[in-house]
Amino acid sequence: MDEMNITSAKYMAHPKTGENDAIKATIDGMGYTVPLAVGNSHYDEIMRRVAAGTLTIADAD
Amino acid sequence: MSKAAELAALIGSQTALSNRNLIINGAMAVAQRGTSGTSTADIYTVDRFALGHGSPVNAMTFEQSTDTPDNFKNSLKITAGTGASASTTGYAILRQAIEGQNMAHLGFGTSAAKAIILSFHVKSSLTGTFGISIRNQAGNRAYAGTYVINSANTWEYKTVAIPGDTSGTWPTDTGIGFNIFWDLGAGSNYDIAAGSWTSGSNMFGVESTVKLTETTNATFFITGVQLEVGEQATPFEHRSFADELARCQRYFQVVGNSAYFAGNGVGSASIAVGIPIATPMRAEPSVPDTGYKAHREGNTNSGTNCVTAVTYATIGSSNLQLRVDFGSGITDEQGYNLNFTTADLQLNSEL
Repeated sequence: MDEMNITSAKYMAHPKTGENDAIKATIDGMGYTVPLAVGNSHYDEIMRRVAAGTLTIADAD
Repeated sequence: MSKAAELAALIGSQTALSNRNLIINGAMAVAQRGTSGTSTADIYTVDRFALGHGSPVNAMTFEQSTDTPDNFKNSLKITAGTGASASTTGYAILRQAIEGQNMAHLGFGTSAAKAIILSFHVKSSLTGTFGISIRNQAGNRAYAGTYVINSANTWEYKTVAIPGDTSGTWPTDTGIGFNIFWDLGAGSNYDIAAGSWTSGSNMFGVESTVKLTETTNATFFITGVQLEVGEQATPFEHRSFADELARCQRYFQVVGNSAYFAGNGVGSASIAVGIPIATPMRAEPSVPDTGYKAHREGNTNSGTNCVTAVTYATIGSSNLQLRVDFGSGITDEQGYNLNFTTADLQLNSEL
């Protein structure tokens, strides 16, 4: 089994542009800043779960 | 023809003389995250080898050990927790994911698929028939094999031959090509029969094999792991530590916590710093956002000048740019120095 345990996800925004540029996520009990980059295993899994309707990414502050 | 000549001819006809081992860190020498720990659903032990368990199997402990067969420096030691049956959906596995573009030459999924062979040294407190499996990224093609540990607490050398798979989809990009699993306690839902390629889902265990985690404090040592093209295993390819470390750093690397990095103010609250990386990484890495302190120039590890979280920005082929948000007190476009303390900065681009 190689599944991640993702318990939270929230977008982070660039302070000047206001555009989302990362996701703050808790994965396997550890806090990560995850890039918005296809190929990053964390990002790919987060987006797979979003598409499946099992995870929601909260808006940035 | 002498035995040596026969072996040389066999090697030459089937595989490369160097760079033939698809496994990275097979000698368990590189341990960037630390040398011991406790299993979770999926946690890295020594580099590139992940250990995972799921209830009702109990957590295992692991360590980079110096208990080895001859001519090795390190092994990976896994110790079972309180013994428990995996029942149907519990599991305990050791795995390594192989990057797709590193296995493209195997030709899996085509009529030209090549046979491969896994070899390793193993020692366990238990004896009997143990299982390994190989599975594609989609999880719908798998092959299980077995090996027998004859004597308890004795190093033994094992090989498992795996025929090439002419079916299925085997990615050859920067994602997972396949995983190879050592079944330490897979539940019955995940078990497949050994000896043939199987289509299905959730396959990584092996039927009728020893499940290490059913026995309290059972031990399992492994090193010298090699996966190569061919039907005949060759002696383990000892690579230099530097070479092995660089291969590992494609997937995970640390930036030492004592250095200062130059940066630039971004808006009124953030600093962007450029950080050199040792090796171009497989993909843009994730960064653990806590566990260390970052403070800007001219101050101490406390107060408004110090934070414990970073915000990832971008990565190039040879450097990482991190953004650190201090909340306030930053002048846009002004130069700053930034220092990470407490712990190394970890860059994670694992498969």
